Amino acid sequence: MVSFSSLEFIFRFLPVFLILYYIVPCKYREIAFLAGSLIFYAVGEPVFILALVAATLLNYLFATLSWKVGEGFELHEWQKRRRKQFMIRAVVMDVAILTVFKLLGAFVDHSLLPLGISYYIFKMISFQVDLYRKKMWEKPKLKNVALYFMMFPQAVSGPIMRYHEGEFELSKEWDAEQLEDGLKYFILGLGMKVLLADKLAILWNDLQMIGFQSISTPLAWLGAAGYSLRLYFDFWGYSLMASGILVMLGYNFIENFNHPYASKSISEFYRRWHITLGSWFRDYVYIPMGGSRCGRGRLFLNLAVVWLLTGIWHGNGVNYVIWGVVLGVLIIGEKFVYGKYLDKIPVLGSLYVLFLIPLTWVVFAITDLKQLGVYFGRLFPLIGGAGISVNQQDIIRYGQNYWIYFAAGIVLCIPGVFRFFEKHKKNPAAILLLAVVFWYSVYFLSSSAGNPFMYLNF
Amino acid sequence: MKWIRKCPLFIILVSTGILFTIIGISGRQSVYAGQEYVPLKAPVLSVMFAAVNDGIYPWHILEQETVLASGNLSGEEPPQQPPAAKEEGTDSKEPGMEEGLPETDREASKEIGEEEGIESLSPEEPPEIGDVSGNDMKEGMDPVQEDPEQIPEGRLEPLRESTHEEYLNHISADIYGDAGVVRAAAYDFSQVDESYFDDALFIGDSRTVGLRDYTSLPEHADFYCETSLTIYKVLEEDFNGLGTIREAIEAKDYGKIYLMVGINELGRGTTEDYMEKYTEVVDTLRAWEPDAKLIIQGVMRVSGEKNSKDPIFNNSNINARNNAVATLADNKDIFYIDVNEVVCDEEGNLNEEYTFDQIHLLGVYNDLWKEFLLSHGV
Repeated sequence: MVSFSSLEFIFRFLPVFLILYYIVPCKYREIAFLAGSLIFYAVGEPVFILALVAATLLNYLFATLSWKVGEGFELHEWQKRRRKQFMIRAVVMDVAILTVFKLLGAFVDHSLLPLGISYYIFKMISFQVDLYRKKMWEKPKLKNVALYFMMFPQAVSGPIMRYHEGEFELSKEWDAEQLEDGLKYFILGLGMKVLLADKLAILWNDLQMIGFQSISTPLAWLGAAGYSLRLYFDFWGYSLMASGILVMLGYNFIENFNHPYASKSISEFYRRWHITLGSWFRDYVYIPMGGSRCGRGRLFLNLAVVWLLTGIWHGNGVNYVIWGVVLGVLIIGEKFVYGKYLDKIPVLGSLYVLFLIPLTWVVFAITDLKQLGVYFGRLFPLIGGAGISVNQQDIIRYGQNYWIYFAAGIVLCIPGVFRFFEKHKKNPAAILLLAVVFWYSVYFLSSSAGNPFMYLNF
Repeated sequence: MKWIRKCPLFIILVSTGILFTIIGISGRQSVYAGQEYVPLKAPVLSVMFAAVNDGIYPWHILEQETVLASGNLSGEEPPQQPPAAKEEGTDSKEPGMEEGLPETDREASKEIGEEEGIESLSPEEPPEIGDVSGNDMKEGMDPVQEDPEQIPEGRLEPLRESTHEEYLNHISADIYGDAGVVRAAAYDFSQVDESYFDDALFIGDSRTVGLRDYTSLPEHADFYCETSLTIYKVLEEDFNGLGTIREAIEAKDYGKIYLMVGINELGRGTTEDYMEKYTEVVDTLRAWEPDAKLIIQGVMRVSGEKNSKDPIFNNSNINARNNAVATLADNKDIFYIDVNEVVCDEEGNLNEEYTFDQIHLLGVYNDLWKEFLLSHGV
């Protein structure tokens, strides 16, 4: 049920929740939302929900102490010191919780990593620092803080919203237009996930099934491109669904993706990909360390730390570290060496992004380093050799089967296409199209029981 | 009610949703009876979509009702009886399914069967399999023959029937034991070279696609294979524009026809249902190409990991069905071979090293299969 693109969520949890949410009086909506979120999380993580609840209460405790110390018009030096101490203690505690669970997950058993912990801990850190930075005007209420940490649309994989973006102090009136808007985002996301990402996922699965040593070089490139599109529509689709639900509930839309594949540099790509994570690292790691307003050596170090942490945050595996380091190196290279050339010739920038990003995704995708080496050998046969039992015609078969998904995916990567749609979203044709996308997605979910691989036909 | 005008998409979805729900409910007893439905997990309208995927469209509900009504009036047996409706598969309810095989062919296959003495043993004569070494005899079966040399001829009868529990739990019952496998293995296969496959036709699902794409066999043999092929579709399938098997056989004289299907239909029906269709396909192929040797290949097993986790796609189900189809082999025109001999580990599961997805051979290991075929010429 924790997947938004499941029949169980769309036809059971969500409608029941929406009805209850709308019929309760306005002042109880947060409580209703919180209750729904607890049920949602408990279904996915019946044991480690205790970790989430405990971390929430502890963070709230620190916040209360800090707020108490910080009361008054003009703060004394000792008050400022105490507030800082509370913030640091809370952040250290949050980092410790995340680290312990990540290590348990990596070295003991994968099941020991609680659902969504990477995201809710980041929200907690952000909350503590924002509190310290006096971004909240009122003392946050426990129900709002708990809701911020636990809200089900963001519980599993973000977006990492900021506390003030929730506007918890404003009451959430029921509005038909918001319901309609949220629904549109949700359906767009659902379509991207079910009709594009899940289809392209089968291509990647097929390459693994064949064995990387036996794929032709064109198929290896097609696979890298397919994986890049799949990851994008999977995550962008998820983010649209998550934000769409929040819009239905009266919250603001949180943008997590802004057409990254149209970027002209890797730095730009990561300002437009998973925006809430990038801005989190910027606001809570990069800038506190000095950001770019310092010497070249320090800037170098700051970027290196941010990208190393980004790599580690994404998963347990050496490949994620390599992935982060490679991105760090590219971004440092752009800042110090060749960025100016990319700026001057936009086409060069586009080609550079479209060539390198899929390669970095291959590193991201393959956890087994030996297999990763084999894949790169197939991408670059001059270095990697001829492969084993390669079928040179495989590209024809896969091209025939997948061109439609690639075509649709590439079209959706063009920023203008999405903007055109947003502009005309009230047009009857757009509405009809969305209805078709919805039922077509439901058709696939019904016939595959929600798991694209479950009835993957043999 | 001004708000209604503000959310047309919401209204469209709710109203179409209600419509689909009504369709789903009205078909629950008839055309959708075979669709699995768990109320807590999915809406009732999902059965309509799942059925469309199986080729059953909403308007078939109406046809179904007219057929039933007219059937009752004329006193004839309705074509879809309740027992058929309980079948897991959907084919039984698929209109036009039975018509896939032309009448003349069906008669022809019957004739062939009779001519060649392929007849089932009568229930009065217990199958003479008790003597075959290694047979997993069911208790209470009285071995009639004491002579270990005696190998029963003709098609074997099942030792028992699948139980309702087995059917409900998607367990393919091992109703034949390994008598057929043992009998088929008694044949003296010979080592051949690749030119042997010049007049061979391979029919199969995605596993056979792997054999086609990652070995040198297609330089010699023709491959009519497609992902998700089942025994139920094999005779009608168009193979991505290549044409049907019938057309292939009419266009060329084949000396050997290799068949491996069966994994996709594991969740569907009982061993009996599968065996019935398999027998029909085998007899039809024999009728279409009487001079060709028909080589039934046992379905390749899945890896130990998959085997232990999957309630449907596991090796006990595969083995049970392989045991069933192996009984069709007569070692004269129809043979049974089992590639699992060379791709499985000591526990009889597909070797983990040979597969990524627990089901298919990695490209390079299809050569093991090819070598196995080369060592099993008939």
